[in-house]
Amino acid sequence: MGDVPEAHDRDLMARLRRGDEDAFRSVFARYAPSAKALAQRVVRRSHLAEEIVQEVFTAVWKDPGAYDQERGSVKGWLMGMVHHRAVDIVRREESQRRRAEAAIPEALGEQIDHADEVVQRLGLPEERRIVRGALDLLPAEQRTVLEMMYFEGLSQSQIAERTGAPLGTVKSRTLLGMRRMRDALAGVER
Amino acid sequence: MTRDHTLIEELMAAEALGGLEDGDRALLVAERASHGDCPECREIEAGFAETAGRLAFALPPEPVDETMADRILASSREAPPVSDSAPAAAPPPDDLADRRARRSRPWPALIAAAAVLAAAIVAVGTLRPSTTPVNRASTSQRIVAFTGQPEGSLAMAFTPGQPGAVLWGGGLPDPGTDRVYEIWMIEGDTAVSGGCVTPADGVVALSVDADIGTTETMAVTEEASDCPSAPTTDPIMLADLTTVV
Repeated sequence: MGDVPEAHDRDLMARLRRGDEDAFRSVFARYAPSAKALAQRVVRRSHLAEEIVQEVFTAVWKDPGAYDQERGSVKGWLMGMVHHRAVDIVRREESQRRRAEAAIPEALGEQIDHADEVVQRLGLPEERRIVRGALDLLPAEQRTVLEMMYFEGLSQSQIAERTGAPLGTVKSRTLLGMRRMRDALAGVER
Repeated sequence: MTRDHTLIEELMAAEALGGLEDGDRALLVAERASHGDCPECREIEAGFAETAGRLAFALPPEPVDETMADRILASSREAPPVSDSAPAAAPPPDDLADRRARRSRPWPALIAAAAVLAAAIVAVGTLRPSTTPVNRASTSQRIVAFTGQPEGSLAMAFTPGQPGAVLWGGGLPDPGTDRVYEIWMIEGDTAVSGGCVTPADGVVALSVDADIGTTETMAVTEEASDCPSAPTTDPIMLADLTTVV
């Protein structure tokens, strides 16, 4: 059971549709830091990540009706928008900008959780534990494919090239990894 | 009868993670269309989208400018939130800028032809429901068929409010030596190129990166292989987006 019930998020979205600014601030405070982390991980630039966050939350404020609860959780929807925009930017820039930047990370497992206090304050430690736990349970080759694709914005062909694995293998690892993640996260707090 | 969803599941998994390439995206759209109104497809898509969205929480959060929320609210006060039934938010400014920068000069002949054919499409759709060019593949994705070409077929899938579209078709005639089909997005009196494509055994698959959020009509012309920035011939196929709901 999670610490941030999805029902509460959906209630916030319902209030957002009525133009409730406090509800917007709540959604923002809860998810903007994770949105920033995701955007920054993909585009590798802090200011660009902030722009993406601003763009996404502006869209949320202007059109909260775009959220369809039949299609998933509020946080999944939000992060999907952030990821889509971040990957779009990376693709358009042909990765030149990313290479020019000082490397931010380091593999996920090696990251120092300096922000854990922030996480605690945000009330999302359980979510992080669940997702990290599910990722850690994946076979390494599947986890690598998922992380390269999602966090680095690489296409399947690019991953095949970088890892030396046949494209078909990358595709099958993508599917198997996503099935496992979906099953691991299903039914756990949304 | 239960359909095999292995391929569509494989494609949707990569799409949810942002790793699908254009060719495979066209395949996904075609596969999706072939499944029609498929609850299992929607369930797979939603499940993977949710999974991908939650992957973000594997990362430690990053501090965000604390004034951002108030700035968003302040900047939007002149333009209050839209209602539930309104279309999705406007595309990012950079998309619009890119798009406008690539606009060609006005194209009166095509615009006029588009208007006539768009009216014809509506009329045909009314009289012959089976030829109505719009199908709903999912709750957000729209598929529209081009009309006007006596041979073959061409369709486009897009998500309103989001950049990008995928076109695919089959049975199309060869445009001839050093000739290609060019895709156009028409808005008002301007036509913007969406790229050129040459059929392979009558089959085409093309991903258009540009935003089509405000496009009224899609058109196809036969052009020289250098893919001109402005149309030089009359359209042979059109798709009216103003009737897509």
